[in-house]
Amino acid sequence: MADAAATAGAGSSGTRSGSKQSTNPADNYHLARRRTLQVVVSSLLTEAGFESAEKASVETLTEMLQSYISEIGRSAKSYCEHTARTQPTLSDIVVTLVEMGFNVDTLPAYAKRSQRMVITAPPVTNQPVTPKALTAGQNRPHPPHIPSHFPEFPDPHTYIKTPTYREPVSDYQVLREKAASQRRDVERALTRFMAKTGETQSLFKDDVSTFPLIAARPFTIPYLTALLPSELEMQQMEETDSSEQDEQTDTENLPLHINTDDSGAEKENTSVLQQNPSLSGSRNGEENIIDNPYLRPVKKPKIRRKKTSFLLLTSPGLHVPCRADRR
Amino acid sequence: MPPTGLEPARMNRKKGDKGFESPRPYKLTHQVVCINNINFQRKSVVGFVELTIFPTVANLNRIKLNSKQCRIYRVRINDLEAAFIYNDPTLEVCHNESKQRNLNYFSNAYAAAVSAVDPDAGNGELCIKVPSELWKHVDELKVLKIHINFSLDQPKGGLHFVVPSVEGSMAERGAHVFSCGYQNSTRFWFPCVDSYSELCTWKLEFTVDAAMVAVSNGDLVETVYTHDMRKKTFHYMLTIPTAASNISLAIGPFEILVDPYMHEVTHFCLPQLLPLLKHTTSYLHEVFEFYEEILTCRYPYSCFKTVFIDEAYVEVAAYASMSIFSTNLLHSAMIIDETPLTRRCLAQSLAQQFFGCFISRMSWSDEWVLKGISGYIYGLWMKKTFGVNEYRHWIKEELDKIVAYELKTGGVLLHPIFGGGKEKDNPASHLHFSIKHPHTLSWEYYTMFQCKAHLVMRLIENRISMEFMLQVFNKLLSLASTASSQKFQSHMWSQMLVSTSGFLKSISNVSGKDIQPLIKQWVDQSGVVKFYGSFAFNRKRNVLELEIKQDYTSPGTQKYVGPLKVTVQELDGSFNHTLQIEENSLKHDIPCHSKSRRNKKKKIPLMNGEEVDMDLSAMDADSPLLWIRIDPDMSVLRKVEFEQADFMWQYQLRYERDVVAQEESILALEKFPTPASRLALTDILEQEQCFYRVRMSACFCLAKIANSMVSTWTGPPAMKSLFTRMFCCKTCPNIVKTNNFMSFQSYFLQKAENGAVVLENQYLLRLVIELYCLPATCLQPLYPLILKMVVRKLDSCSTMPVAMALLRDVHNLCPKEVLTFILDLIKYNDNRKNKFSDNYYRAEMIDALANSVTPAVSVNNEVRTLDNLNPDVRLILEEITRFLNMEKLLPSYRHTITVSCLRAIRVLQKNGHVPSDPALFKSYAEYGHFVDIRIAALEAVVDYTKVDRSYEELQWLLNMIQNDPVPYVRHKILNMLTKNPPFTKNMESPLCNEALVDQLWKLMNSGTSHDWRLRCGAVDLYFTLFGLSRPSCLPLPELGLVLNLKEKKAVLNPTIIPEAIAGNQEAAVNPSSHTQLVGFQNPEDDHLAKEASCNISAHQQGVKRKADTPLGSPLEPGQILEKNEDSSKVKLKIRFSSSQDEEEIDMDTVHDSQAFISHHLNMLERPSTPGLSKYRPASSRSALIPQHSSGSDGTPTTKPQWNMELARKGTGKEQSPLEMSMHPVAAAPLSVFTKESTSSKHSDHHHHHHHEHKKKKKKHKHKHKHKHKHDSKEKDKEPFTFSSPASGRSIRSPSLSD
Repeated sequence: MADAAATAGAGSSGTRSGSKQSTNPADNYHLARRRTLQVVVSSLLTEAGFESAEKASVETLTEMLQSYISEIGRSAKSYCEHTARTQPTLSDIVVTLVEMGFNVDTLPAYAKRSQRMVITAPPVTNQPVTPKALTAGQNRPHPPHIPSHFPEFPDPHTYIKTPTYREPVSDYQVLREKAASQRRDVERALTRFMAKTGETQSLFKDDVSTFPLIAARPFTIPYLTALLPSELEMQQMEETDSSEQDEQTDTENLPLHINTDDSGAEKENTSVLQQNPSLSGSRNGEENIIDNPYLRPVKKPKIRRKKTSFLLLTSPGLHVPCRADRR
Repeated sequence: MPPTGLEPARMNRKKGDKGFESPRPYKLTHQVVCINNINFQRKSVVGFVELTIFPTVANLNRIKLNSKQCRIYRVRINDLEAAFIYNDPTLEVCHNESKQRNLNYFSNAYAAAVSAVDPDAGNGELCIKVPSELWKHVDELKVLKIHINFSLDQPKGGLHFVVPSVEGSMAERGAHVFSCGYQNSTRFWFPCVDSYSELCTWKLEFTVDAAMVAVSNGDLVETVYTHDMRKKTFHYMLTIPTAASNISLAIGPFEILVDPYMHEVTHFCLPQLLPLLKHTTSYLHEVFEFYEEILTCRYPYSCFKTVFIDEAYVEVAAYASMSIFSTNLLHSAMIIDETPLTRRCLAQSLAQQFFGCFISRMSWSDEWVLKGISGYIYGLWMKKTFGVNEYRHWIKEELDKIVAYELKTGGVLLHPIFGGGKEKDNPASHLHFSIKHPHTLSWEYYTMFQCKAHLVMRLIENRISMEFMLQVFNKLLSLASTASSQKFQSHMWSQMLVSTSGFLKSISNVSGKDIQPLIKQWVDQSGVVKFYGSFAFNRKRNVLELEIKQDYTSPGTQKYVGPLKVTVQELDGSFNHTLQIEENSLKHDIPCHSKSRRNKKKKIPLMNGEEVDMDLSAMDADSPLLWIRIDPDMSVLRKVEFEQADFMWQYQLRYERDVVAQEESILALEKFPTPASRLALTDILEQEQCFYRVRMSACFCLAKIANSMVSTWTGPPAMKSLFTRMFCCKTCPNIVKTNNFMSFQSYFLQKAENGAVVLENQYLLRLVIELYCLPATCLQPLYPLILKMVVRKLDSCSTMPVAMALLRDVHNLCPKEVLTFILDLIKYNDNRKNKFSDNYYRAEMIDALANSVTPAVSVNNEVRTLDNLNPDVRLILEEITRFLNMEKLLPSYRHTITVSCLRAIRVLQKNGHVPSDPALFKSYAEYGHFVDIRIAALEAVVDYTKVDRSYEELQWLLNMIQNDPVPYVRHKILNMLTKNPPFTKNMESPLCNEALVDQLWKLMNSGTSHDWRLRCGAVDLYFTLFGLSRPSCLPLPELGLVLNLKEKKAVLNPTIIPEAIAGNQEAAVNPSSHTQLVGFQNPEDDHLAKEASCNISAHQQGVKRKADTPLGSPLEPGQILEKNEDSSKVKLKIRFSSSQDEEEIDMDTVHDSQAFISHHLNMLERPSTPGLSKYRPASSRSALIPQHSSGSDGTPTTKPQWNMELARKGTGKEQSPLEMSMHPVAAAPLSVFTKESTSSKHSDHHHHHHHEHKKKKKKHKHKHKHKHKHDSKEKDKEPFTFSSPASGRSIRSPSLSD
């Protein structure tokens, strides 16, 4: 079965092959595609050293291959549409593959592998004739690893570039002027857009469009937006001093741990007991462990507590100054 | 011992001594506060307190504590149920029926109400009766443990809940609660002795949600889960004796940061702000080190906590071992401008930890010592951190502030002495509020009070030297810390309290100097000195004839006699002269050292030893005088107006090295708009080494001068070329350099290395050089310093445009050139490569735009539309719109830009370019916007209210004052309205009407009882709008039954005294009405009410007697009593039907409450009939407890001449200790009284009818005697009087059955 498939094998591995048969009736089309895929699977199996395979397993593998290829197509289409295009380009495919966890770098090597089998062209290929608008120069021939029944390279004018050089604008004043007006334009366009799409306030009763002010909306936690640097600023900060930032993010995570520990500790108190000191220890790494009451673990309730206040009042040694280690 | 120790009345202070005798008949040693449930949803708190007290007198039978807002369920003393009564006269200051609307009256009533619950007078809102079973115990002065269960529902003051309305659990929402308040406000959230002078140790327990943290005073001993593991309890111990007023609490889902430098210091902030917290607090350890070093004393507490919370009451609040800050002080490393401000706040709070928290005050009149010392050491920190120039500038600023305030309002008195409470002797009669209590003070006054206190401390330092000063502080601290480590001994702990006399004594011990005159001048007296100086140079004698006049007649001024330093800069150098200012002599001859010899080219030596070349062509050829300064060291609290020629001011500006002198000369030069002044100012502006603040003020002065010189001004607009040169690109002068605030660092460094820059002081220079030598990794610790320098550069960068925008051309318009220039600055502002945020700079640019706006040309009431918009304004609006909209997308730090935009829009509205409309501001003023935005928006609305006289907006503001969730905003609105009032007392305004008067009156009378500061703010506003007397817009008072009496009296004696009486009476009357409000609908209330009012009246009477006032005969307590009883009866009746169900709160399910009632009746009754009561107390007492005389010194009780006194004393048990101290017998009647009441309890109601009878009789008697105003009222209510015990009983019965 596998052998037969291998010998009769034909078809391409791309998604494009399917689309070309769109003239056939649906069943036909499906069958043809299916057959091609089967051939591919069989040839791959042969290549992997199998001599025979059960029909069911070949079917399964075909099914898998089919869905993998469909997914590539679907995903590539989304990427392409995301960038406002209708035709997927190479980069869309690459991004798709990367996204699907495929190492694209290995692809060229795989395509050029020595033991690969070449599948003959599918029988049903009535290529739509694309009108040759203008021909300029010679089309490039296929490289050796591409089957000859694959489409030809496009006309050279579509990819050949002739770089031209123009003196870049380096006049400081013009640059500053450009940068400034560009930024202004962007800002104005953006704010206008926001104002158009949302609620606005106006300084003039008779005219709401000339100076539209985005309506003031109260925040639930106003201090956060007011105090925290914006993402943009954060980025700048990271760029300027990464070292300091590292340190900050480091500790930033710490209290989160503590917090979650605290709440999680309701169930497993013991784990907290071990965890917390280690956290405080790791903070100042090289130094001795910080003895701060707020970092200490929360105690489990005693069985019976009566008159805490009086007991504590008389118990000695509660006032422990711990300033010795300072400076 | 200085004479201040002689205020005999103020405290019962023993001569010479250790001082402090508590005004309370017991000593508190330990208090437990346990809050076991906090509900954020309902904003409620449930808990208990337990006070351990030692009676200091035998027969202590009632204990008064402070408590406000709290609902008290149960009180037990040593596990026995105790009856208690709750009454708070401050809830409603004046009786609501009254149509009295004059502020004098209110202020007196308010002061009386506050006194009536003042712990420093031994009073309190909560009065607990010691169960009879414990009397014996008490007589042996054995310990009592008072256990009080309480709850707090939706507190309006004291505790502030912040609960954002978002999804999630309370912790996820960032809900938190914290204690807050002005002065002693702890009573708002738990019952305590809310005084700074009652120290005790503390055990604090808070049970909170497991995701929350409770931060409080002292050491966190342990954190324990509750049994269901859902909550945890934080146990705190505070072993250093601390006053209740210094106890605080903050609970929230805080992020915890242990200070990396000091592990015992912990910082807390709200979720997500940790990186900011880390940066903000990174400097704190240095402040610690500084204070510890100068005070040579360790930080007294074993730990320290800082908590940053939202919706803060004040920016900085210091409590024992913890400080609560506004979260808005947090900032990231990108924000330069906020850094010094935040650090100041941190340093301030830390200074108060030593003086204010650890060392507390004995009484309110000693407050100035604490504020003074903490302010003074904070000043030292400023000097060290920001340099001498900054320090001197700050001192000058503070001095100017206090001078301006005192001249405006008439004096701030640091150490008020109240001689026996006579209203006549009121040391602050010029004010519209009483300064007797911190709670009656206007906030502004208090701010100025603090400012003056530290300035006076600095004057003391000038006198005795800093070294001695620090020794004194050290002495105070070391005494206190010795005391604090002792077990309870009352006299030891009082070492932790500072008093004026104790402080002065320390000073004289340490320094051996007599600073009495200084204290007398600045501390015991209010007012500042106002000098006018002028001079003439007598060429023949080569003498400078200086004339110094003083104005000591205007309000807020005082006469100064003593030394005054004058510095004369002559050609040969600078010379100091100390003149003796005396009563009569105005003229002072000062011999000059140098002859006029301007032709000799020689360098001129300056004060600091520097020698400079000067161009002397401007000066008078005959005179060797360059400039003269009066009191250059600011060693007098003064305002100096000195006349000298313009060239002298110019020399002073250019060559005097003292920043204060430079600033003074800039101010003076405003009056000399000449090219020479312009040149001097421009020169100073260009001088990089000149102090940045001087340069900043030079900018503004230059703008003013340019405007005055508008017709003769040549060349480009002032400062433009300068700015271009300093901050713009070389190749294209209209484009500002890209912002790189960091590059200033290298700039400074280079300069320092070359030695080209003389930095402000040596300290800075040294550090900068160090900085330069260090590898980059070591920059971190020196970072603040760089920042500081950067800020200076920045300020001058952004100030110049702001000042430039003030320029006007001949048509009084802002020159087009300037506007284009500013617009260009905005356009080309580029911050992409800058490490720091430029938000403050951009905000300043908007301010500059706003400054450039001039009134619209045609303002003939035409409607402002877009079509007739001025093209310049169009450009400005364009920018503002863009900025404001960008803020929505990329908000700036603290929304500085929004704030500036809102201000600018208001300016445009006000100048008639844009239709005046408050709608925009109102939307920004809503709750939910950042507080800075809200304040800016509200300011605009306030301004609108004033300009457009809008009643609607005023109502809207008043509504917000009453309902806004943020106390600070409410306070701020009042404050802004006071500063920018819609109308004032002498102004006709459509806004001024009766309804408004009533509304404001209601606001200050009862609407703001939960917040002292707010109430005082309301009083301030009322004063600004209507003045002291009855508002003119009110119709003449109709001759109603009730108020008539007062009016009549006022007619009879149109002085302030009847007013005062009326006020006090009112205060005395009203308690009965308050009881309803409190929520303790208990019959006992009424008795307490009576009792309290009785106390006041008795006190009043004492006052009167001493005052020997001929006006009206003294008010007999009985009369008031009667009235009280009447009104309370009415209350009883009214309440009777409705309040039965509320009895569950009942506290006195106690045995002897019947007796208690009768006892109160007795007590009330006794003094009213001197004739009858004469012997009764003595006899009944002696019958029961014959040994009474051993307790008191003279036992004059049996002597008839003391009877009157006795009776009064009896009722006035609570009267201020000062009163007592004036009469040696004070102790005796007190004990007599208490025991007597004991006896009366046993005698039960046999006496009732008897008493009533007497009472009635007496009542009539007094009525005739005094023509009291309440006749009619009393008559109306007379029937109730008879039923009083009965009604009391009947109401009691349900509670007994419980």
